[in-house]
Amino acid sequence: MKREIPMIITFVSGMAIIIALFVPHPPFGRVEETFNNWYIIISGFTMILGLNSLLGHNLDKVKRKAEGWPYSLTLILSFFITLIWGIVSTIRTGHIFASTSTFRNYYYTYVFVPLQSTMFALLAFFIASAAYRAFRARTVNATLLLVTASIIMLTQVPKGETVMAPVLGVAALLAVWKLMSEFESAASWTAGLPYLLLSIAIVAVYLPIVEVLRTQTTAVNDWIMNVLQMGAKRGIWLGIALGGIAMGLRIIFGIEKSYLT
Amino acid sequence: MGLFPFIFALIVGLTGPRNVKVLDKPNDDGSAVIIEWDSASVTPAVKMISIYKIPEEMWGHGSIKVVDLLSRNTFRYVDTQVKPGKRYYYYVRFWGEGDYIDSKIVGPVVPKAEWFHKERLPMLVVLLIYGGLLAYFLKRIRKGEEVYIRPIAGLQAIDDAVGRSTEMGQPVLFILGLGYINDIATLAALSILQRVAKKTAEYESELIVPCFDPVVMTAAQEMVRSGCFEAGRPDLYNQKKVFFLTNDQFGYAAGVDGIMMRERPGAIFLMGLFFAESLILAETGHSVGAIQISGTTSITQLPFFIAATDYTLIGEEMYAASAYLSKDLHQLSTIKAEDMMKGIILATITIGVVLETILTLLGKPIPNYIKQFLEGGLWK
Repeated sequence: MKREIPMIITFVSGMAIIIALFVPHPPFGRVEETFNNWYIIISGFTMILGLNSLLGHNLDKVKRKAEGWPYSLTLILSFFITLIWGIVSTIRTGHIFASTSTFRNYYYTYVFVPLQSTMFALLAFFIASAAYRAFRARTVNATLLLVTASIIMLTQVPKGETVMAPVLGVAALLAVWKLMSEFESAASWTAGLPYLLLSIAIVAVYLPIVEVLRTQTTAVNDWIMNVLQMGAKRGIWLGIALGGIAMGLRIIFGIEKSYLT
Repeated sequence: MGLFPFIFALIVGLTGPRNVKVLDKPNDDGSAVIIEWDSASVTPAVKMISIYKIPEEMWGHGSIKVVDLLSRNTFRYVDTQVKPGKRYYYYVRFWGEGDYIDSKIVGPVVPKAEWFHKERLPMLVVLLIYGGLLAYFLKRIRKGEEVYIRPIAGLQAIDDAVGRSTEMGQPVLFILGLGYINDIATLAALSILQRVAKKTAEYESELIVPCFDPVVMTAAQEMVRSGCFEAGRPDLYNQKKVFFLTNDQFGYAAGVDGIMMRERPGAIFLMGLFFAESLILAETGHSVGAIQISGTTSITQLPFFIAATDYTLIGEEMYAASAYLSKDLHQLSTIKAEDMMKGIILATITIGVVLETILTLLGKPIPNYIKQFLEGGLWK
C-alpha cells in the first residue's frame, strides 16, 4: 500500500488536471488553481526545512572547522543580519519596502542589488569565453556556426554593414589558406581537387555575397532569425511538448515510478 | 447623467461610447463578462473610461463601479466579479476634462459555465491520437516486441563522468536548476539524479546536490537515498550533502560557483530548468576542469549549454532519460509513441505547406473549415 496510495493520488490528481483543461464548468474549472494554492501552502512550510538544511549544513562546517568554514560563518552572519534588519524595518515602517525603510534604502539598494548585478555582469565575460570555444572553426558545423553568428553580430551592431566586407574578407582569406594547405598535403592531385574547387568557389562568390549582405542587411538578418533559427527552435519545442506529455502520461498512469522512492 | 455635464460635454466635443456590447466570456466557468465598445467613439477629448454594472437585484437602485479610470486606448474589459446564472446590465462612461458622458445601458447578460472548452478541441484530438498510440505500442511491447531507441550520448556519458570523478578522487556535483517540483524538467532531472546517486554509491564517490527550492531538496534527498539503497550502500547516504542553498537566482549561481571553486568537482551535472545563470554555472564548471553533462528544456539556454558543456541533453532527450536509463520496456514504448506522434505532426505540417502552396498558386483560398479547426473555432 506504501506505493499504491501515492500512485492512486497521482492518477486522480493528474486526471483531474487533464479534465479541468477541457471542462471549465465547476467544480473542474478551478481544480488547477486549487492545487496550486495547496502547493503554495505546502512550499511555504517546506521553507522551514530549507532553512534547517542551510543553517545545519553551515553550522556543522563552522563547528568542525572544516575547510572553507569562514565562508559558512559569513553566510550565517549575513542570514541573521538580513533577518533581524528586515524584521526591525518592517515593524518600524509597516512594510519592508516602505520608502522610509532602512532595509530597503541601505541594505537592499546598496548591498543586495549590487551583488546581484555583479553576478549578472559576469555573464558578458562568460559569453565571450564560451563563444570563443564554440566558434573555433575546427569542423564544418562549427564553421557554419561561426559564419552565421558573425553575420548576425555584424548586422546587429552599429556600422556593422561597413565593416562586413573587411571582416568577411579576412574570414574568406583564412578559409582559402586552410583549404589550399589541405590541397597541398593531399595524397594525390585528385584527392585534393575538392579543396581546390572549394577555394575557387569561395573567391568567386565572395564579392556577390558581401554585396548582398551589405545592401540587404536587415533582410538577411531577418531570414536567418525567422527561417533558420525559428525552424530549429520550433523543432525543439515540438519535441519538448511531446516529451512533456509522454512523461506526464507515464507518471499519471504509473508507468514511471521513479518518484515513488 | 445630469443636464449640465451633458451640455458641457457637447461643447468640448466629448461623444458618448458607441456600440457598447456585453457578452458572456466563452469557454469559462461562468465567472466573466466581456464589455466592448467602438474604438472610433474614443475621440481625443476622452481622457479616461469607467465601467458600471447593474446586477438584476439592484435594477432601479443605482449601480456598482466595476472599474475606474481605464486608459483611453482600452476598447474592451473583462469583468471577473460576476456569478453564473445571474443577469447583469452595464454602461460605459467616457471622461473628458472634468465632464463625462454615459453610454446606453446594455444587457442583460447571463454568464454561463460551459461543459467543454471549444477552443481546445484540436488539443483533445491530438491527445486522443497520442493516447491511442501509447496503448498500441504498450500492447506490442507486451507481445514481446523489441524496442530500439537511438543511443543518447549525454546519457551514455553519465557512467564515464562519475568514473572519471572517482578516479580523480573528486566529488560529483549535481545542479537541479531553478525549477520547482511541478516542472516536468525537474522531475526528469530527479530521475537522472537517482541514477547518478546509484553510480556514485557503487564507486564510493561523494555526491553534492545544492538545491534552489526546499520541496525539490526534499525530493532530491529521497532520490539520492534510494540510489544509495539500490547500489546496496545505504551507509553512504549523507543527507547533509543534499542541501538548500537559496531561492534567489543569482545568489544560487554565486553559491554553486563557490562550491565549484572550493570543492573542484570532477564531474558536474546541470539538469533541469535554467535561466540567465546557466552560462555562469557552465563556464565556471569548465574553468575547474570538470567533465560537464547538461540537460534542459529551457530553449533559450540550450545554446549556452551546447557551447560550454561536454554533453547536452536537448529538450525531449531529458524527458526520455528515465526510460532510457531504466531500460523498462513499458517506459520505452511511450518514447516510441512519442516518435510516431512527431512523425504524424511533421507529415501534417508538410501536407499543410504543400496544400497551401498549391492553393496559393491556383489562386484559391484555403477551405474555411480547416482554418476554423486549427484555430479552435469549428464549434463556436
